[in-house]
Amino acid sequence: MGLILAIETSCDETAASVVESGTNVLSSVVSSQIDIHARYGGVVPEVASRAHVEMLTPVIAQAMVEAGIEPDELTAVAATVGPGLIGSLLIGVSAAKSLALVWDKPFVPVNHLEGHLYAASLEEPDMPMPVVTLLVSGGHTMLVLQEGHGQYRLLGETLDDAAGEAFDKVARYLGLGYPGGPIIDRMAADGDPMAISFPRAMMNDGYDFSFSGLKTSVVNHVRKNPDAADVDVAASFQEAVVDVLVTKARRAVHEYGAEALCIGGGVAANSGLRERVLDVCVEDGLRALIPSRSMCTDNAAMIAAAGWWRWQSDGGASLDHGADSSLRLQTI
Amino acid sequence: MLILGIETAGTQVGVAIAGQEGVLASAHSGRDRRHAESLTPMIEFVASQARIELKDVSAVAVDIGPGLFTGLRVGLASAMAIAHALGVQMIGVSSLDLLAFSSRHSSRRIVTCMDARRNEVFTADYRAVPGGVQRITEPMVASPAELRGELVALKDDVLLVGDGALRYADEFGSIEHVELAGPDVAHPSARSLVDIAHHKAVREEFVPANELEPMYLRLPDAEINWKTRNDG
Ligand SMILES: [Zn+2]
Repeated sequence: MGLILAIETSCDETAASVVESGTNVLSSVVSSQIDIHARYGGVVPEVASRAHVEMLTPVIAQAMVEAGIEPDELTAVAATVGPGLIGSLLIGVSAAKSLALVWDKPFVPVNHLEGHLYAASLEEPDMPMPVVTLLVSGGHTMLVLQEGHGQYRLLGETLDDAAGEAFDKVARYLGLGYPGGPIIDRMAADGDPMAISFPRAMMNDGYDFSFSGLKTSVVNHVRKNPDAADVDVAASFQEAVVDVLVTKARRAVHEYGAEALCIGGGVAANSGLRERVLDVCVEDGLRALIPSRSMCTDNAAMIAAAGWWRWQSDGGASLDHGADSSLRLQTI
Repeated sequence: MLILGIETAGTQVGVAIAGQEGVLASAHSGRDRRHAESLTPMIEFVASQARIELKDVSAVAVDIGPGLFTGLRVGLASAMAIAHALGVQMIGVSSLDLLAFSSRHSSRRIVTCMDARRNEVFTADYRAVPGGVQRITEPMVASPAELRGELVALKDDVLLVGDGALRYADEFGSIEHVELAGPDVAHPSARSLVDIAHHKAVREEFVPANELEPMYLRLPDAEINWKTRNDG
């Protein structure tokens, strides 16, 4: 048994959480800055950092109170050390190291991507291995084969835009607002996904992704067909993204003999993607690991889960640990 | 009363611990070390040098800026986390107050001038008073040329303190009634921080960790652009 307090400040959510033994969430507090960044149409690093400093201590305090534990019961203090916005990461890392020092607990550095890979295990404690995870967010699009705890193979990733970035850019072009993902998701529900046949780049070709061409096609289509219904454009665009993501993930599951298909990251909150993954898993007799929406978007519970396994394999890190904005997933 | 002081607003990282009898231990890193890497080990080191346990600290003092944003926030986040973990109050002190304080024995008007990068400086004017300094103008950000204009217009003899004064020595050195303070007092010091904090603690000028206000003096660029667009 172990209790991990984790802190997550890599982008625009200030989050803290206490998780028991990597699976039992005692508290998960997330203070979102979406409203603050909406008027700029995207996350502004300096604005994000200012908000993190303001929110972090209250968020940590709330996470400890909701968990109902005392600091001396903690096993370790974990924090996201990358990838992400460097100024934001350093705030969480500095606070976590300070808490570790004062409470005399080990400090555990956690890779944010590893956090997303572990989000599903918070609700499915007996995560089967090997598992193929489709990690899709505003910053990342990757297909990862996990063979054991901490053992990853990066099967493919995006060559240009991340999936979430494509949603944001298309939403901005259509004048729908920010953030694009949830808005397009809502509109797509009222549109016809077969209305427009947008291209599926590299669909049957390896495990890498490319979304910049799709974004251009959407722009061109709307230019040529100014009367096209926004809901149809949204639904057809979303359909193209989901189609590519799930086709590749499904192929990977079979090629590598995985028993389960898992999704994570902010785009994993998308209804179209969730439904399609579920359908494919039912058809193919696979376990579908679909975290609840609040565990798909950035949160600290997933960092605590990944931190628990990290702590067991690597122990604590030195207090001179820093942050790395372009940290990669450690692969075998 | 034990006070832990954390200073990361400038190019250095500084930590000091003071008790009733004054500074027990302090450390200052060389310039341009990575603040986040150095700070926590330095706190641990200074506590061991002072032969105290961090749990016995009764207040956490921190430089609230102005300064270089990323370093400043590393100090703020650490200090707030420590104050929260210990359940103690905080004392915020401006970096410009710290710069002026280290020249408090001067009989001249003390003008602080901290390098703000982008060809700007953070500045405020002070005069020495018994036991310290008193700020007599609002802290602001200015170009070296603008500050030079202000200084030329002043009637008083001036001591110009800070790394901005040294960086733009060409701009300020030629003004007859202005003397440039040396590099030994050009950076906010953690020793000054705990010294000032001690006086503030006596006057009970504490703030809870969640009410500490950083002094940025500059809006984020995005906010400036957004305002210009929407006002224009
Ligand atoms: Zn993320």
